[in-house]
Order: sequence, then C-alpha cells, then structure tokens
Amino acid sequence: MFKTGLRTRIFILFIIVSIGGLIVLNNVFQSKHQNIHDALEEMELSSQLRELRHFSHEDSLKAQALMRNFNEAKAVVSIALSDSRTMSSVVLFIIIVVSTSIFIIVLSRLSRPLRELKNATEQIRQGNLSVHLPETGIPEMRELKSSFNMMSRELETVQSRLLVAEKEMIWKDLSRILAHEIKNPLTPIQLAIQRLEERMQSDPERVKDILAESISIISQEIENLRLLAQDFSNYAKVNQPNPESIDPALSIQEIVKSYVRDFEIKLTLEEGLRINFDKTHFYQVVTNILQNAIDASEPSVAIEISLYRERSYAILSIKDHGKGIDTKDLQRIFEPYFSRKTKGTGLGLALVKKLCEANSTIIRVKSKPGEGSEFILIIEAQNQ
Amino acid sequence: MFEVLGTKILAGVVSLSMLLFSSFKGNDPLISSISTAKTGSYLYLKANLENAFENDFPSIFASGSKIPVHYDLVVHQGSRTVASHRITNTVKFDPTTGIYELKQGNKSPVFTESPEEVKRTLAAFEYSLAYQSAWNKINVKLEAHLPKVHFQQLNKELDLMVLWKYKKPSVKTLIDIRKVF
Repeated sequence: MFKTGLRTRIFILFIIVSIGGLIVLNNVFQSKHQNIHDALEEMELSSQLRELRHFSHEDSLKAQALMRNFNEAKAVVSIALSDSRTMSSVVLFIIIVVSTSIFIIVLSRLSRPLRELKNATEQIRQGNLSVHLPETGIPEMRELKSSFNMMSRELETVQSRLLVAEKEMIWKDLSRILAHEIKNPLTPIQLAIQRLEERMQSDPERVKDILAESISIISQEIENLRLLAQDFSNYAKVNQPNPESIDPALSIQEIVKSYVRDFEIKLTLEEGLRINFDKTHFYQVVTNILQNAIDASEPSVAIEISLYRERSYAILSIKDHGKGIDTKDLQRIFEPYFSRKTKGTGLGLALVKKLCEANSTIIRVKSKPGEGSEFILIIEAQNQ
Repeated sequence: MFEVLGTKILAGVVSLSMLLFSSFKGNDPLISSISTAKTGSYLYLKANLENAFENDFPSIFASGSKIPVHYDLVVHQGSRTVASHRITNTVKFDPTTGIYELKQGNKSPVFTESPEEVKRTLAAFEYSLAYQSAWNKINVKLEAHLPKVHFQQLNKELDLMVLWKYKKPSVKTLIDIRKVF
C-alpha cells in the first residue's frame, strides 16, 4: 500500500488548511460580488426618466444630470466589481504559487538535515563513528547537528577507549592462560630434571634406573606444550572455508574410528545426506565436540551421535551423559579461553563456533548439570 | 519587447486565475482573419472582432461617456515597418434621448437606438491602406485594445481592459498584394 511520508502529510495538511481556506473565502467573495452585479443589472432609471414630462428646462437639465450620474455610477461600479473579482482571483493564484513554493523550499530545508541525520545515524548504527555532519542550515538545525557531531565524537572516543581496554584485557587473559598452561608442563619437566641431577650427584651408577621414566615425562610434557601451541595456532588462523560437497555420515564414521577402541560411541546416521562444508573444518568441529563429550563422560557410558534430515537441513547431534554444564556457564562456553576443565586452553569450543560461523552453520547446546550435554549442528543440506 | 512579454504573461496569469478561481466570465475577444480587396492604389482590409462586447459592456456603453475601441494596424515588409496606423471606433450614449452615436474610424457618425448595432459597429474594422507597388508581400498585424476611460461625472478613470481579461486580441497575416483582386 502507498505510504505517505512526513513531508507529504505536512504538504497535504498545508494545502487543505491554508489554500483550501483561501479558495473557500474567494468563492464566498466571488458569489457575493456576483449577487451585487446581478442587482446592479436590474437597476434601470434612464428609460423611466425619459418618459416623464419635464415642465421646465431646469427640470430637464436636472433629469439629464441625474441620468448621466446614475449611468456612469452603474458603469463604474460594474467595472470595479469585475476588476475586484479578477484581481482577487489573480491575487489568490499568486498567493498559492508563492506560498506553495516557499512552503516546499522551507520544508525541503527542514527535511534535508533530518534526512542527513537519519543517514548519519544509520552509519553510526553500522559502526562508522567517524561520521560528522556539516553544521549548516537554520539555527535550530545547526544546533541539532552540532549536538549530533558532539555525540558521535564522544562515541568515537569511548569506542577507542573500549577497544584499548578490551585489547588490554585480552592480552592479560592470554598472558595468564599462557603462563598457566606453560607452567603446568614445565613443573614436571623441572622435577624430572632435578631428580636426574640429584641421582647423578648421589648415585651416578643408578641414573639409568630413572632415566627412561624421566625422559618419558619430559617427552610427554613437551608433547603437551606442542599441542598447546597447536591449539593457539589453530584458533588464530581459521582460514576462509573451502566448502565442498561431503557425506557427513561417512566423515563422522572416519572420525569415530580412532575413538571406538577406548570409548563407547553409539551412531545413528542417516545415509545419503550431503552438505556443503569445508572438510577440514568439519573434522575439527566434530573432533572438538566429541573430545569434550569424552572428557565429560565416564568411559563406560555411551556417547550418542545422530545425523538426520529435517526439512532442508542436516541435523548433527552429539550427546553425552556426563556431568553437564552449569546454567550460568552455558552462555560463556563459546568464549575464547573460557574453560571449567583442569586441562585445556578454553579455545576448543570457541574454535568450533568460529568454524561453524565460517561455514554458515548454526550451533546449539542443551545441557543439564548431572544429566549431560547435547551439541546440535544445523547445517544446510544439499538437495537430493 | 519586455512590455509585450509582460502583457502576455499578465494575460496568461489572469486567464488561468479566472479559470480556476473566479465566477466572473468577462469577454474572450478574438479577431477573425483579415479579408482583403484591391481598389486602385488602395488595399482594403476588413476584419471583425468577436466575443468582445458581451458581459458588462451594455452598461458601460450606456454610461454616457465616450467609449473608444482602438485597432492598431502595423504593416511589415520583411523586418521593416512600412506602415503603422491606429483606427478608433467610438460609441457615445445620450441618456436623455436613448440614442447611441457611433463613429467608425474616419467615417461620419451614425446614430442608433439598438445596442446590437453598437456591438456590430464597434467590432467592425475597415481600412483602406495606400500601398506601394514595390511592396509585393507584406505582413499585416492587427491588434485591438481598450483604453482607460475617464468618467467625468464621477471623475474616475478606469481601465476597460479588465473586461477583456487584459488580453489584446490580435491577428497576423501574410498578404501577397499581386494575388489580391
């Protein structure tokens, strides 16, 4: 349906109230003039006066003067009435043209800054806080634009301060996590080396007894450090996805192969489904969620993975019956470096979320403390 | 040039305004095409003013003041003006006798009681133009207008053009004198 803007509504109101009023006034005026004119046409004196007998020359002259006066007056009034009606319509026409032009100019001068403000507000909404309006126009508009510019400048300052604060906070968090995560493997390494040193000083002959174990500890902790570096590296460099048509059931079966020897995993996979997903990203997403499910569950309790089609989507659910997630933590589990586990960087689920977004996939979590968690991926399925 | 342009704009504005906002009819005068005839070394020109003297005019004619109607005749050969004449028809009413005195150009006055005769006579334009044999083709422009009239009894001067909505009727025609018989 046709929607009228503010300017159109104001203009229609102006036409109805102002110009409509003038037209009505003019019509009344014209009608009254017409009545006077008609009455004037009816007035006739000369013919009756001519029929009268004038007894003296003086009477005749008086009658002549009277007739001339009357006829001239009638002609003058008639012309004056016509002139007045013509002029009133011309004046009305000029008033309409001039007032409408002035009204349109004023309205445009008023609405243009409002449009500029609207566009500027839109830009701010989109994140461009550096937008500034030229402080021109009528004083009230200049004041409004000046206030707007001041507001945008303040927003810009606040945003840059927030960015700095956020960066600082991220660095602090990162430093804390890195220090903690690096310290964890360093302590066993240091202890293993200390044990070796002490044995070498106290009983060099029996160093061999603890050498293999110490090397194993050191090697294991170095491997942990490598994995830690790998996690950070993976999160930092999520590449642009390279989507390809994959069979999710097949991919899940391949991923699960390395886990089934040690853990109970129950698969319910609908075959024949195909999705558009970066294969490497899909592997990382499923592995991370599955690893979390394994970490949260007892080894004997099965983890359920199901895949099915719902409308035009492929739904992948990974469900564990572990300890579950606290309600207050549920909103934060995808934040980087957030973790309630004793080991890990807190980057796993953040990476999952990032990869899902990169592949236009929605991820949802249902969890109840003590009952377990379910991660659901909603992926657009290809037409079969 | 600006005067002509101004008059045309004024006439346009008045006509449009009256069409939109006035119940006043006024008159919409126009001149019919000029007819020609040759008599010796004179070119006889004749035209008629139509729709010119209806509304309001009967009471103006009956005022007793002398009411003139001017016809301006301008003859061009190429871009050169070769002749320019003003011919005036007049009417004057005598309220005591009820008789109109009519004068058409330089002709002798005629008298009538008929308002219709008055309209016909004032609307008729006739003129014998002395032409030169070298003219051949000429452009003739005829324009009619009403002057301001002074009403003596009331000592008032009024512009009668308001009754024509400030529109000066005119006609232009190209005449090949060699083809006029």
